[in-house]
Amino acid sequence: MIETLINEIRSSMAENRVDIPLLEPLLKPVLTAPLIGDLVAFLLWRPILAFLFLFTCMMLVSVFLVWWERKAAARIQWRVGPREVSRQIGGLIQPVADGLRYMFQEVIVHRDADKFYFIQIPILAFIPFLLPLLFVNAGNLVPIETPYGIPLMLALIGLLPVMIVAVGWASNNRFGFIGAIREAFMYFAYEVPFIISVIAMLVLYGTANPVEIVKEQGIWWGILRNPIAALVFLITAAMATSRLPFEIPEADQEIAFGPNVEYSGIMFGLVMMMAYEKAFILGCMMTILFLGGGTGPAIPMLGDLSGALWFLIKTLIVLMLLTAFCRAVYPRYRLDQALSAGWSSMLSLALIALLISVILGVVM
Amino acid sequence: MKKITVPEYNVVDKAKKHTCALATGARELVMPATVTTHYPRERRKVADNFRGYILFEVEKCINCFQCAFVCPANAVCMKEAPNKKYYPTIDYAKCIFCHFCIDSCAGGALKPTKILDVAYKDIDEMLTLTEEMIEQPEIIREDVRSVEYVLTKEDLVLKRNPGEDSLFVKVTPPPEIPMVSQCVEPESCLGCGICEEMCESAAISSLKEDGMVRMKIDTDKCTGCGLCVKECSMQILRLVRK
Amino acid sequence: MENKDEHMDFLDSGVLAPFKKWATKWSLWPVHFVTSCCGVELAHAFGCGYDGERIGALNFGIARQTNFIVVEGTITRKMARALRQVWEQMPDPKFVSVIGACGERGGIFWNGYNIIRPYDVVPVDFFVPGCPSTPEGILRGVRAVQDKLDGKDRTTIEFKNVGLPSEEGKENRVPTTPKIYSPTPAIKVDVRRDADWGTGKELVERLKGELNGLYKSITITGKNRIAIKTTTENVAEIASKMSNGVGIDHVKNVNVIDVPHERKMIVEYMASSYAVKEFMPVLITIFADIRRDECKFPSLTQYWENADYSEREMHEFFGVWFEGNSEMGRKFLLAPDTPEFPLRKDFKLKEEMYAFEEGKVVPSGISAKPATEISELPLPLPEGFLEDAENSDELVVLVGPHHPGSGHARWVVRLKGDIITEVLPDVGYVHRSMEKLAENRLYIQNIPLFERASITDFGNINLGYVRAIENALGIEVPERAKYIRTVIAEVSRISAFFYDSAIAAMMLGHSTGFMYAFALREMIVELVTRMTGARITASFIVPGGVRRDIPADVLETVGNLQSAVQKRWKKFEDIFINNPVTIARLKGTGVLTKEEAIKYGVVGPFLRASGVEYDVRKVEPYEAYDRLNWDVPISDDGDALSRFLVRVEEMKQSLSIIRQAVDALKNMKGGVLSEELLGDYKDASTDIRGYFYRVFGDIVIPKGEWTSITEAARGSLIYSLISDGESNVPYRVRIVTPSWLNLKGYMESLKGSRLADLQALFQTWGYFPPEADR
Repeated sequence: MIETLINEIRSSMAENRVDIPLLEPLLKPVLTAPLIGDLVAFLLWRPILAFLFLFTCMMLVSVFLVWWERKAAARIQWRVGPREVSRQIGGLIQPVADGLRYMFQEVIVHRDADKFYFIQIPILAFIPFLLPLLFVNAGNLVPIETPYGIPLMLALIGLLPVMIVAVGWASNNRFGFIGAIREAFMYFAYEVPFIISVIAMLVLYGTANPVEIVKEQGIWWGILRNPIAALVFLITAAMATSRLPFEIPEADQEIAFGPNVEYSGIMFGLVMMMAYEKAFILGCMMTILFLGGGTGPAIPMLGDLSGALWFLIKTLIVLMLLTAFCRAVYPRYRLDQALSAGWSSMLSLALIALLISVILGVVM
Repeated sequence: MKKITVPEYNVVDKAKKHTCALATGARELVMPATVTTHYPRERRKVADNFRGYILFEVEKCINCFQCAFVCPANAVCMKEAPNKKYYPTIDYAKCIFCHFCIDSCAGGALKPTKILDVAYKDIDEMLTLTEEMIEQPEIIREDVRSVEYVLTKEDLVLKRNPGEDSLFVKVTPPPEIPMVSQCVEPESCLGCGICEEMCESAAISSLKEDGMVRMKIDTDKCTGCGLCVKECSMQILRLVRK
Repeated sequence: MENKDEHMDFLDSGVLAPFKKWATKWSLWPVHFVTSCCGVELAHAFGCGYDGERIGALNFGIARQTNFIVVEGTITRKMARALRQVWEQMPDPKFVSVIGACGERGGIFWNGYNIIRPYDVVPVDFFVPGCPSTPEGILRGVRAVQDKLDGKDRTTIEFKNVGLPSEEGKENRVPTTPKIYSPTPAIKVDVRRDADWGTGKELVERLKGELNGLYKSITITGKNRIAIKTTTENVAEIASKMSNGVGIDHVKNVNVIDVPHERKMIVEYMASSYAVKEFMPVLITIFADIRRDECKFPSLTQYWENADYSEREMHEFFGVWFEGNSEMGRKFLLAPDTPEFPLRKDFKLKEEMYAFEEGKVVPSGISAKPATEISELPLPLPEGFLEDAENSDELVVLVGPHHPGSGHARWVVRLKGDIITEVLPDVGYVHRSMEKLAENRLYIQNIPLFERASITDFGNINLGYVRAIENALGIEVPERAKYIRTVIAEVSRISAFFYDSAIAAMMLGHSTGFMYAFALREMIVELVTRMTGARITASFIVPGGVRRDIPADVLETVGNLQSAVQKRWKKFEDIFINNPVTIARLKGTGVLTKEEAIKYGVVGPFLRASGVEYDVRKVEPYEAYDRLNWDVPISDDGDALSRFLVRVEEMKQSLSIIRQAVDALKNMKGGVLSEELLGDYKDASTDIRGYFYRVFGDIVIPKGEWTSITEAARGSLIYSLISDGESNVPYRVRIVTPSWLNLKGYMESLKGSRLADLQALFQTWGYFPPEADR
C-alpha cells in the first residue's frame, strides 16, 4: 500500500514537475538516480519550487533593496553611497558586510525588557510573514491555488502590524511604546482604503483567484483599467510598510526607530527584515493586481521560470520605486496628517476607484 | 522691508509641487550633480594659506616666546635645547589650528603645512617636540588624484587632477621690521640684572661702574624679542625701531 | 580605563575570524551621538562632500544598532554620564575615536571647570587632532580603525628627529606670564561718556521724570547706552514702571559681576524695547549692588518673563538668589559635580605653562574624575512633576541627550496623548565655561574662544566681540576692512542658515534636503578656506580690521557665489522647501504671535517672522551695512514655515550684500588694519603676519562696561566687557547668544503642538546648543 502511495506521489511530482528546458539536460541523469532523484523531484515539484523560488527571491530582494535604497538615495543626494567594500560592483555586497557584522555582534536583552516576548517575537514573526507567499503566483508557479487567494493574503497581511506592536510592547521602552501605538494608528489609517482598493480590483476582474486575475488582465493591465485604485494601493502600501513619507512608527529623529529601539545584533537584523518582507509581499500583490502578474514575452529556454522572472522584475521595479525613490524625495508626515489623509483623500479616492470598477466591471 | 506671505495651496498647486519634487528626484537619479571627494582615494586641494600642521626652522627663531604667549589653548610650550635657548613644542592634543603663533612669529620660523588628516593611537604621541618639527613629516597617503572645487559663475564644479598634490607650501617671510630694545630711563635702573638673565642672544651685559650697575644693550646682537622689555622690573625698557 | 584592545581578541578568535574582521571593518556604523560643535564637521564628513558611507560608515540612529562612537569634541561633566551610558548600551565589539582638541587635552577649554577628558570615561582607540577636525581627519580616524581591524599597525604621521643646535650658550631665565591682573580692580559699570547722541539727553530726562525717587543715578555710558543705578528695594518698582509706562518690553541680558574686595556683587538687567521706536536701539542697564554674603535680589520675571532662564543661569554661576523665581535652588546648566558658583572670583582656574618640563607634559586643568554612573544622571524636574503628570494621565518622555532628534540637550516632554502640554529644557550639555575662561585670557586670545560658541556662525560671533573692543578703544576701522568684514559676516550668516536648513530637513526625515544643504554649505566652506585658511573656525576678524587682505582672485570667486548658488538652491527649493509634505508639516505649527514673541524675548529672524521689524544692522548700523542696498524681510504669520521662509529671503539678501560688497572692494585700495593700533608696525597693515602678538598682545581697554550688539545669523548677539582699565585680561565678559535668547520662544511655541513637532520646530528656531550653552 505504502508502495502505491509513494508511486502515486512520485507520479504526481513527475506530472507537476517544473519545466525548465535550459536545465533539462542537466536534470535528466540526476532524476534517475535513486533517492537524490526523488529529492530533486520533490524540490522541482511545482508548489514546492514555487514557494522556494518566492522565498529565495524575498531574501535576495531584501538584501538587494537595502543596497539599492542606499545607493539610489545617495545618487539623488549628490554623493556615492556604499562603494569601497567592493569597488568593481559599486559596493553591492555592503548589506552582506552589515548583516555579517550584526550576526557577530552581541545581542543585548535589556533589564526592563519583557524577555520572553522580546526574544521570541522577532523569530516567531517570521512565519506570518512567510504565509502570504503561499498564495502568490509567480507566473506559472503557484504554491497553492485557491479562489480565495487574494482575501487570504489580505487577512494574513492584517496580522503583521500585530507583530510590530508586540515588538514595541515587549521592548518596554517609552519610544518603543509610542512607536507601537503609532503603528496601531497607522493600521487604522491605511487598512480601509487599502482593502477597498483591492476589492475594487476584485470587482473589476470578477474573481479573487490570483491565477484567474492574471489571466483576466491580459495586456490590459489593472493599472491601465483603474489607475486610481493603483495609486491608492501604492500609497497605502507605503503607509503599511512605513516608508517615507509615512515612516511614522519608526521615525528615527522623532522616536528613535520606535519599536526597534532596543534591538541589537542579529535580533535587530530580524526586526529590520520584517519591514522588507512586508514590502516584498505588498510588491507581489501590486504585480498581481495591477501589473499583469508574470505575463511578458516568453523566454523558451527558461520554460516555467520565464513567467516567474517577469514577475520578479515587475515586483522589483515596484519595490525600487516604493522604497528608495520616495524615501529620497519626501520628508515625513505627522501622525494626525497621515490619519486624516487615510480617512479623507485616500478613502474617497478608494471609493471612486470602486465606483469605476463597478461601472467598468459590472455595468459595462 | 520685504513682506513674506505664504499662500494657501489648493489641490492643483499641491499636485504641481508633488510633480516638481518627484521630477527633481528623478532627474538627479539619472544625472546626479555629485560633489563627493573620494577621500582617502582622492584628496581635496586646499588653498596655500590652509592652516594645518606647523613646521619650524631653528635658524629663524629668535626665542621670543610670543608663540607660547599668544596661544589661546596653551598648546605651545618652549623647550630648552642643548644650547640653552628655548624653542617651541606643540601639543596637537590642544592645538586649535588658529595659527596665531605663525602670525606672531616675527622671524618667520614657524611655517604652515596643509596636513590635517592624522589619527593617533596614543594621546601622549600628540605632543610634537621641537626636534620633530624641523623636517617635513610623512603621512599615510592613499590618494591618486586631487580634487579642486571650482566655483564658477554657474555652479560648483569638481576638477580632478591626477597625481599627488604637495602638502608643503613655500612661505614668503613676513616684512622685516627690525626692532631693538632700548632703555628709556637709565637713571631709574635698579641693576637687578633680570634683563641680562632673560636675554637669550646675550645682547645685554652689565657693567659695574663706581659701585653702580649699568646695563648695556648691544644693538647688533639684539634680536628685538622683547623679553627684557616685558620682564623689566622698573618697566623702563622699550622696543624701538632700529 | 578598560583595555582598548579587548574587542580585537574576540574578533581574532575562532575559525570565523576573517569574516568577523572583514564584516566589522566595512561596517563601522558611528552612533548618532553629537556631543559638541565638531558635529558640524562630522556632518560634512558624512554629507555629500565626503560621504563616509563610501567606506562603509553609516551614521545611524541610536546606540543599540551601532558599533562605533565618534566623540565630537568637548565632553562636559553633564555629557560624561551620557557618553558612558551610550557606550555601555552599545553591543560588543565596539570602537571609539575622539575628534577635536577638546576631547583630547581640552583644546581651547583646557582649564575650564565643566569639561572632562573622554578617555577617562571610555576606552579610546584613536585621537584625531583639529578644532574642529576636518572631514578628512574624521575619515582618517575611521580608516585607522579599519587598518587596526586589518591588523595593520601604522602610525598615520611619521616625524623625523633632527638634532638641535648644541653649542654651549648662557643660562637663560624663563619669562613670567604675559597676563597682568590688577590687584584691586576698580569696577564701575556706569562710567559717564560723552557720545554723539542727539536724543540721549532727552531720553534721560524723560526717564528721570518717570522714575522719580527710585533711582540713584542715570548715566549715559555711550551712544544708545543708558545705565540706571538703583537699590534692591526699588528695582522691582523701576521694572514695573519701565515695562508698563515706558514700554521697555524685554530683557536682553541679566548679568552679575562679582567684586570680592568690595564685598559686593553688581546685578544688572539690560532691557530694551521693540514696541517703542525711539527705544529700539537703546540698551538700558538697570543695576544695583548687593551684599556678597547675602546674595539676594528680587526676580524681575513678573515684569519681563524672558529674564527667567538668565536668572537661573546667574543663580548657578554666582549663587545669587532671585527671590520670586520658582526655579531657585535647582541645577540648570551645570552638573551636580561641577564646582559650586564657578564664576565667583574666588574660584580660580589653572594657570598656563609656557616652558616645557619633561614628564609633566602639559598641565591640565581637568583633574577630578568624572561621575559616570547612570544613577548620577541628574533629572532636573520640579518637585511633584512626575506625580502630577501621572495623576493627570499624562506621559513624561525624556528626549535626549542621546537621541537622533534632540541636539545636545535633553527635552523633558509632557504629553497628553500626542499633544505636548509642557516642555522643560535640560540644557548645558555643551556648557564649556566660556565666560570664566575669558576672564583668564588676554583679550586677543578670547577671539577663538568665543568663536567656538557657534562655529556655524563664526563670522558674526567673532565680529561682535571685536566690535566691543574697538568701541572701547575708540579705533576707526579702515574702509576696506569694513567691507571685508561685511563679506565675512554675511558668508557666515549664509553658512549658519544652510546648516540650520540641513538639520531642519534631517529632523523632518528628509535626508536629501540635508545633503543638498550640505553641498551648498560645502561651497561656503570652500570660500572661507580660500579667504581665511580655515574651513570653519576662521578667527579672521581682529580689533582694528582683519588679519590679512583677501587677494583679488579669491574676491572674484567670492563674487561668483550669488549666481553659483542658484542652480543647486533651486533644486533644494523644489525637493524640500516647496515639497507639499514640508509645507504641511511646518505651516501653522508652533505659532508665536507678535505679542508673545516680544514677551518671550525672541530675537533675530524669528522675531521678524512674528511681525516685529527689528534688525540691528538697520537699527544701529555697523561695518558697511548702511552703504549697501538691502531689505529686511518680515512676516506676520509667526509659524514655523514663515520663520523658515524669512531666513530664506534673508539668505538671498545676504548674497546680494556680498555681491555689492565685493564689487565695492574691487575699486578700493588701502590697508586692512587700523594704523592707529599698529603703531610701530605700520608695514603690516595688509597682513599682520609676524607682528600679531606685538600689536594685539597687550590690549588694555578703558574702565567701565562696554556693550556691543550685533545681528548674528540667528539674532541679536550681545557682548558686555567689563574692564578695570589696568589689566590686559577682561574682568568679566558676558556673552548672550541668540540661541540662548530664543530658547524660551522655542519652548513656548511647543505647547499645544504634537510630539513630532518637537523636531520639526527644532531647527526652524535655529536652536544650536553649543551656541546656547556657551
